[in-house]
Amino acid sequence: MARPFTNVLLKGLSGVPAFCSSRSLTGSFYHNGVKYSTSIPNDPDTHEDFRPTNKLEGSGLSLKDVVEQDVKDNPIMLYMKGVPDFPQCGFSSLAVRVLKQYNFPLSARNILEDPELKTAVKAFSNWPTFPQIFIKGEFIGGSDIILNLHQNGELKEKLKDIVARKEESA
Amino acid sequence: MGVTKEQVESLLKSKLNPSHIEVIDTSGGCGASFAIEIVSDQFEGKRLLERHRMVNAALEVEMKDIHALSVKKAATPNEWKKLQDSDAATPVAAS
Repeated sequence: MARPFTNVLLKGLSGVPAFCSSRSLTGSFYHNGVKYSTSIPNDPDTHEDFRPTNKLEGSGLSLKDVVEQDVKDNPIMLYMKGVPDFPQCGFSSLAVRVLKQYNFPLSARNILEDPELKTAVKAFSNWPTFPQIFIKGEFIGGSDIILNLHQNGELKEKLKDIVARKEESA
Repeated sequence: MGVTKEQVESLLKSKLNPSHIEVIDTSGGCGASFAIEIVSDQFEGKRLLERHRMVNAALEVEMKDIHALSVKKAATPNEWKKLQDSDAATPVAAS
């Protein structure tokens, strides 16, 4: 599944990131490489039951609730610039590259799309920069920390039971 | 207006009393992006996340103007010594 994205990933990964683009992409929530759009299509043929639900708007949830729900529901939750298949910042790209090595479900939101979500995530974790990585609800840190935990083996340890769970269900 | 490497360095020096510090301006001069290596005994007994939080806190005001901050190393003097020793023993692979 990851193969078609390899080129994109490698492109974003070369060299040291000196600056990040602030351009925004469409699409919002990614899970296992599948995009869940938060925009409601105007296609009249789509029955309302089958239209994508919009988690961020109209659900009565505050953004803080959304973040809380995200990190609770998703064993690995990533808030990043861009999306996993097309990171828009070298640091976000690095975090995705590290996490993808473990081949487990990866959920992500693009904070470039939503300045309010960006503010809410920063307040939630009390952390000033992106990407931000949460594993099993625990705030892990940014790209420097995830790389470090990867290199010293702690990340593997943290992810062990997630991977195991995935194998069980497979 | 931008934050300078010297500002970052002096703030970290005054707040974390490092035995080694290296701040690299990775912004190409506009002062928005830095990479940091810091060794301080104040990191003793603290997880990496907490160490990074200490660095972030020391630069709290400046972080608003800093676009990217990469903490490459946040080590205790002991860890730093070990790192130096092992770096000397094994040549770093070219990437």
